[in-house]
Formats: sequence, structure tokens, C-alpha cells
Amino acid sequence: MTPATNPESIPPPVVQVRDMDFCYGTSKALFDINLKVEYHRVTALIGPSGCGKSTLLRCINRMNDRVLSARVTKGEVLVKGKNIHDADVDLTQLRKQVGMVFQKSNPFPKSIYENVAYGLRIHGEKNKSVLDEAVERSLTHAALWEELKDRLNANALALSGGQQQRLCIARAIATVPDVLLMDEPCSALDPISTLKIEELMHQLAHEFTVVIVTHNMQQAVRVSDYTAFLHLGKLVEFAPTEELFTNPREKLTEAYLRGTFS
Amino acid sequence: MNSSPPPSRPPLRSVLLRSRKRTILGFDPQTLIKYFFGSNASVAIIVLVLIMVFLLREGIDFLPTYQRELQTYRRAGLEFCDIIDQPLQRNQALSSSLRQAVSASLETLSKSARDRRDAAFLLKRQVEDKTARPRESLTQALEKTPPAPEQIEVMRRELREASANAAKALSYPAFFNTAEREQLQREFAALTPEAADLPPLLQTLVAEFTAKDREARAKFAPLVQAQEEFEEATEPLQEVVDQIKAKALETKEKAVEFAVLETNRQRLLEAAATETDAKEKASLTKEAAESVSEAVNLEESIKEITGRTAELREQVEKYAVVIEKAAAVLPKDAGTGAARSLVNEVREGIPVHAREMRAAAATLDSWRWDKPVSIFSVIGAFFFGTQWITNSSWQDFFGFVPLLAGSLVIAAIAIVIATPVSVVAAIYTNQFASEREKEIIKPVIEFIQAIPSVVLGFIGISLVGNLIKDVSECSWLQWVPGFPIQERLNMFNAGCLLAFMAVPTMFSLSEDALNNVPRAYIDASDALGATKLQTVFRVIVPAGISGILSAILLGLGRVVGETMVVLLVAGNRIAIPDFGSGLGVIFHPAHTLTGIIAQELGEVSRGSSHWQALFMVGIVLFAISLLVNWCARAVARRFEPHKA
Ligand SMILES: Nc1ncnc2c1ncn2[C@@H]1O[C@H](COP(=O)(O)OP(=O)(O)OP(=O)(O)O)[C@@H](O)[C@H]1O
Ligand SMILES: [Mg+2]
Repeated sequence: MTPATNPESIPPPVVQVRDMDFCYGTSKALFDINLKVEYHRVTALIGPSGCGKSTLLRCINRMNDRVLSARVTKGEVLVKGKNIHDADVDLTQLRKQVGMVFQKSNPFPKSIYENVAYGLRIHGEKNKSVLDEAVERSLTHAALWEELKDRLNANALALSGGQQQRLCIARAIATVPDVLLMDEPCSALDPISTLKIEELMHQLAHEFTVVIVTHNMQQAVRVSDYTAFLHLGKLVEFAPTEELFTNPREKLTEAYLRGTFS
Repeated sequence: MNSSPPPSRPPLRSVLLRSRKRTILGFDPQTLIKYFFGSNASVAIIVLVLIMVFLLREGIDFLPTYQRELQTYRRAGLEFCDIIDQPLQRNQALSSSLRQAVSASLETLSKSARDRRDAAFLLKRQVEDKTARPRESLTQALEKTPPAPEQIEVMRRELREASANAAKALSYPAFFNTAEREQLQREFAALTPEAADLPPLLQTLVAEFTAKDREARAKFAPLVQAQEEFEEATEPLQEVVDQIKAKALETKEKAVEFAVLETNRQRLLEAAATETDAKEKASLTKEAAESVSEAVNLEESIKEITGRTAELREQVEKYAVVIEKAAAVLPKDAGTGAARSLVNEVREGIPVHAREMRAAAATLDSWRWDKPVSIFSVIGAFFFGTQWITNSSWQDFFGFVPLLAGSLVIAAIAIVIATPVSVVAAIYTNQFASEREKEIIKPVIEFIQAIPSVVLGFIGISLVGNLIKDVSECSWLQWVPGFPIQERLNMFNAGCLLAFMAVPTMFSLSEDALNNVPRAYIDASDALGATKLQTVFRVIVPAGISGILSAILLGLGRVVGETMVVLLVAGNRIAIPDFGSGLGVIFHPAHTLTGIIAQELGEVSRGSSHWQALFMVGIVLFAISLLVNWCARAVARRFEPHKA
């Protein structure tokens, strides 16, 4: 299954985590994680609070680099077959390939247009028509274009919470990443906005590969194709969503799903 | 789930009823405490209001007082004289330029002779200083009657020895050759108190210089002559002006004296009217009757002045013609490049000056002594007046522009220097510095605030001034406008020190502003693959810009209000900086709003117009500070999107 030897027949999974341990200083947060994320699928990470979902997610675009003395101590993370911790990996390019949406919406205090164009601008795009086109495409993808096309110069902070979160999604997909990481993107939103974003997720899966952390089991069922269940830093079970929810292999998973969980 | 009965509780009614509390003087202690805290907060506001009221009360009388003074200035004819006298001042500048040009030219020939002569006299002086004691005793002995010849002989020997020693110890400049040195030494050794004539070599040196000087004057004869003519040209005109000025001044003094006595009389009469004791009353009335002086007939004396208008005009015309002629014959050539440019300057300046004089003379006729001075023109004279002249025997002017200009230029220099330094330092400390660096940088910068400003003033005088002057004399820096500088104490020097003082404020507030930028923005930018620099300049700085701007404005407030440093370092020349010299203006000395108050308030008499004028300056300063602070707040509110 080495991608280098046989690239045509089996393309490597877009994200692959192999035997990974992760430490915050001396305390180990993730133990021996193995995970394969397929192209154009939505993968959900579920598990009790503090089990390491966000940590795992942040390993994929190396957002943990900023945390002092946090590092991968064993194993590796591959994105499109390339170990992202290799010395020749450009962090800027990695993050262009792996976008991220945060739990709390965080648009910049700039215009809507500038928010979406930001990612392209920092990667050196100056051509106005390219930017215009990308902004329209991304906002359309994020189901915002119709609502906002007349006020692209308005300040992004004037939008509603749901709109802001969709704007953040638009901003993340403007650079056309392969993978989109989402850390509880709906946890601060009302049900209607949540619904909109869930609908969006299906659309997005046509073009991107989505990894989403969620606490809402129904949401996982609704949006994801695969689900990974984490517990105390260990990946307990990873299976197609339907299978995992209807017929969990592990006792722990079952207990968690049923809510009888100590 | 709790099946056991709840613990026994008091009946509801008694819980809701307010329990009787102790009161102090009929007040609930809670209320008292509230009032206590509230009143402490109000003290600040009350004090601020009191300050404003006090400033206004002292300052606002200034306008009517100044109006009266300007009225007298006009009625007594001083204004009339100034129509001619003010533009005539330009003559002095021109003539001094010309004099400089002449002496620079002459020096090309006579400098070495003069240096030799001066050096020889200096050496002689040194010998005399060193031998002062024996010389003094000898002189006394010689004057004594009857003289004591053998004592005198002893003293002479002593003096000769001392002189010889002193002459030997001197260091002779290189432009004396060996023979000359020896001769000088001999002559110095033989100096006696009685000798009337100079020793021969000194005489030769003097003659040498005189010859050289004569030669130089002959060589530059046209220039020398033009200069002399130019200098003489003003004399007849100046004479007329001086006469009418004297007359006007006399009138003014009489009028002022009259006004003083008159107010005194009024006061005495008022006191007499209310006085009950008959004796006292009589004495007051008598005193009042004595307190009169002859009222000046202003019209009469002004006629005497305006009566000479025609003469004055004629003289101005004559003067203009003469100086124009002098300009025409000014030679193209002068001894040195500097002298040549001075001469050119004068050649161009004279026609302008002549034109100004003629224009001034033309306005003499339309001048009216009895035109009232409106309060608006007084306000204009204060806010747009270009002269701040006090304790003058002629006329005091309280024009605010020179001080404002000085303050603004210095503040601008300080802000231009301090802004990049403190903002960049804040960005570095906040975004790039390691924890250890932060631990060093922050306290060090904040410590600057603890330096007393008088100490900084010290440093400005003793260190920065010399440093700037030395640097300005570097030959490879001469392209900088204003270099080489003339004055060590100037606006740039003050601006540098004020910048230093403003840095802690601006740095700390900018750093806070950057700190307040939400973490989430940085996360978002990082997650999109931005480099550290991109995040800093595209997200963090724009998001913190309101805080940074208001930090700069608060720094400006600090700079405008600072007194001690500018008083010590700015050079305190009360004149509008010469903006004609371009950017080099920053190396000129100036006075400031704060400095003038600190310097002059202690010396003026309470309630005088000068005192009131200083309070007016205080009011304006206060207004500027309020404005700057208000702007800082407005800016902070205006660009605060992430708090919306
Ligand atoms: N910056 C950090 N430094 C040290 N330890 C951390 C840090 N971030 C997370 N941890 C620890 O790592 C473990 C996993 O945290 P993580 O944030 O990944 O949990 P999570 O599954 O996302 O929880 P939640 O569902 O509450 O978001 C926790 O025990 C947490 O205390
Ligand atoms: Mg989390």
C-alpha cells in the first residue's frame, strides 16, 4: 500500500494518520492513532469532552505547532501521501491545502470581500478579476452569494452569527483546499443556521474532503460518511457512519451512543 | 429525588420583611457608603471645573485690557511710527549681511596678519597676567613718595625674572618663526610697567596688519564703499523716525500716567463717599483732589506727529533711491564664496526692501488716530499676532503665533520620531519577542517614564545639543537641510527628548492595543497559511489600529503639555521659526506655550496685561489638551469594529 510504488491503481487517502502519539509537554493526549480519510467524504470525529478530537484535528494542519512543547512523539501524519512533518514541507502550502473552520466564527474586522479574498491575497494573488471570481465562487459555495452580493463591502462583523460562520467557510474554501477541517462549527449556532450549514456540508463534500468534530450525534449521522469515536486519547472505533451507529463493534462505543457512559 | 422533608425554615412572611437595621444619622449605612464613594469620584470633576473657571476668570479680562492698550498705542501715534519703523528693521539684517561679506572679503588678505597681531597681543597678556603680582608691587613702590631706590631695584629684578620665566613658558604659535619667537620672548621679559610704547616687534606686527588691511580695503574698495553708503543711507530717515517716536512715546507715557491717576482718584472718591468719619472723609477727598494730572490733548500731539507725514514720505523716498543705487553698484565679486552669496542675497533683498518701504509710506495718509480698536481686531491680534514682546519701553505685543508655532513644530518632531519607534517596538514585543525579551523590554521602556524631565533637560543641554552640533559639522552630512546648525539648543533637540518622553506612553498603549486583538483573528490567519509577518501586518495591526492611533494622540497630548524640557532645551527664542529655510527650520530655536508660562509667570505683576495674557495662553493650552484627548477617545471609538 505504499503510494510511491503503485500510484495509479490506489490513490493514497487524502489524510492518513499512522501510529501517532501526541504530547502536550509531558502529558500524552493521543495514543497510537490510525485514521484514513477518503477523498470527497465527510468524516466525523466524536467522543466525550477532552478526549482529544480537537487535538487530532489540529494535527492535520499542524495548528498545534504554536503550542509550546506540543509535538508528535511517534508515528506520522500524511496528507496526500506526504509526511507533513518532513523538513521540506512548507507550512504555508500545507495550510493552503488543508483549510480550517473554528468553533467560534472569527471573520476579520474587514469587509466581506476582503475576508474571502484574504487567503488568496496572502498567497500572492493580486489579479482583481481572479479575486472577484474566487469571491463569488466561494460565497456561492457557502450559500451566501445571493444574500450578500449587494453588500460585499460591508463589514463582516455586521453579519449574523450563522452568516459569519458561513463566511468563515467561504474564506476557508477560497483557496480551494483539498481538506476542510471543522471543529464543532455549529455549536454556537441556532438550529436554522445549523441546518443550513449541514446542508452545505453535503454540497461541500462534492468538491472537498471534510473532517468535522461534533458533539451532536444526530449531526454526525446526518452529515458524515465515516465516523471515528475517540475516548481518552485513543481511537476506539472507526467505521462507516451507518455501521458505527447501528452496529458498533466496541462496547465502549455502544455505551457512549446509548448515553450510559460513565 | 429528595424524599426527606426540608430542614425547618422560618415562615415566609418574616423572611420578606425587612429586618431593622442600624442607621447612622438617619441614613442607611449602605447609602452612606455609596455617597462616600460617589463623592470621591466627583472630586475630580469638581476640581476640573474649578480649574476651568479659575483660568477663564483670570484670562478673560485680557481682551478688554489689551484692547485698551492697543487703543493707547494707536491714539498716541505709536502705531503711526511703526508703519515706517517695522519695515525699516529689515535694513539691519541687510546691513549685517553686508558687513559679514565685507569682513570675510577683507580677511582673505589680512587674516594671517591679523592672527599674528592678535596672537602676539594674547601672549603679551598672558605674560602680564602671570606677572601681575610683582608688577603691582613695583607700580605701588614707584608711586610712593619719597621713592625707595634700592627697594625699587629689587622689585624690578623680581619682575624681570618673573617675566622671563613666564615668557619662556609660553607656547608660541607656529606662524612665528624662530627669530620672531626669540625676539618676542626677549621683549616680554623686558616688559616694565612704565613703558608707554609697545615693544618694537609688536609695533611691526600692528603695522603689518594695518598695511594689509589697507591693501584689502583698496582691493575690495567698491564693496567697502557700497557697505558704508548703505549704512549711512538710513541716517536721515532714522533721525526723523526717532524724533516722532520720541514724541509718541512721551504722549503715551503721559496718557498712561493720567489714566493711572484718574482711576486712583475715582477709587478715593468712592471710598470717601462711603466713609462715615468726617475727618477721614475730608482727608480722602483732599487726596483725591491731589491725584490729578494734566489731561493729555491727544489730538494736539497727534497732529504734531502726522504733521510730519510729508517729510517722512520724502525721506523714505530718498532712502529708497539711495539704497537702490547702492544695490546697483554692489560689485559682483567678493573675497570668498560665502561672501559672494551674501552679497547676492543683499542685492536681491534691497529692491524688495525699498518696495516695502515705499508701500509703507503710501499707507501713512490713510492712517487714522481716532479709529476705534474693535474687540475682534484684539482677538485677531492675540491669536494671529506674530510678535510676543513684553517689558518693552516702546509697546508690548501679545501675539500668540510664535509660541504656537514653536509648540507645534516641536510636538510634530517628537511625534514623527516617537511614533515609528514605539509602534515598531510594541509590535516586536507583542508578536516576536520571547518571554525573556518581554521581561526586559517592557520594564525598561516603562522606566523611562520615571526619569524626571528636568534631568532629561540636563541631558539635552549637555549631551544631545553637542552631539547634534558635532554631527551637523560632518562634511559628508552637509546635504541635510539646516546643516551645519548654529544653535545647540533648538527645536530638534527638544523634539528628540520629548520623543523619548513620549515613547513609554505610546509603547505601552500600543502594546495593549495589540494585546487586545482577539486571538481568534490570529488563529484564522494562521490557519489560512499566512506567515507571521502577514498576520501581523494584515490582521493584527489593522485590528489594533484604533488603539495605536489613540496611543499616538495621547503621546501627542503628553508632548504638547510638557514644560521643563522645552524650557531648558528649545532655545527660547520668541520668534516665528523661519519656515522659509525649508526642513532646516527644525534646527532653529523657538519658544513654546508651556515654556513661556513657566518662564514669565513668576516675574510679572499680578493682574497686569502680561499676567492676563499668560493666562490666555494657559486657556488655549488647556483647550488643546482637551481637544487632543477628545480626539484620542473619538478615534478609539471610531475604529473599534471588533467590539461592536
Ligand atoms: N494547549 C494545550 N496544552 C496542554 N494540554 C492541552 C492543550 N490543549 C488541549 N490539551 C489537553 O489535551 C486533551 C485533549 O484536548 P482536546 O481539546 O483535543 O479535547 P476535545 O476532545 O476537543 O474536547 P472538547 O470536546 O471539549 O472540545 C485534554 O486533556 C486537554 O486538557
Ligand atoms: Mg475541542
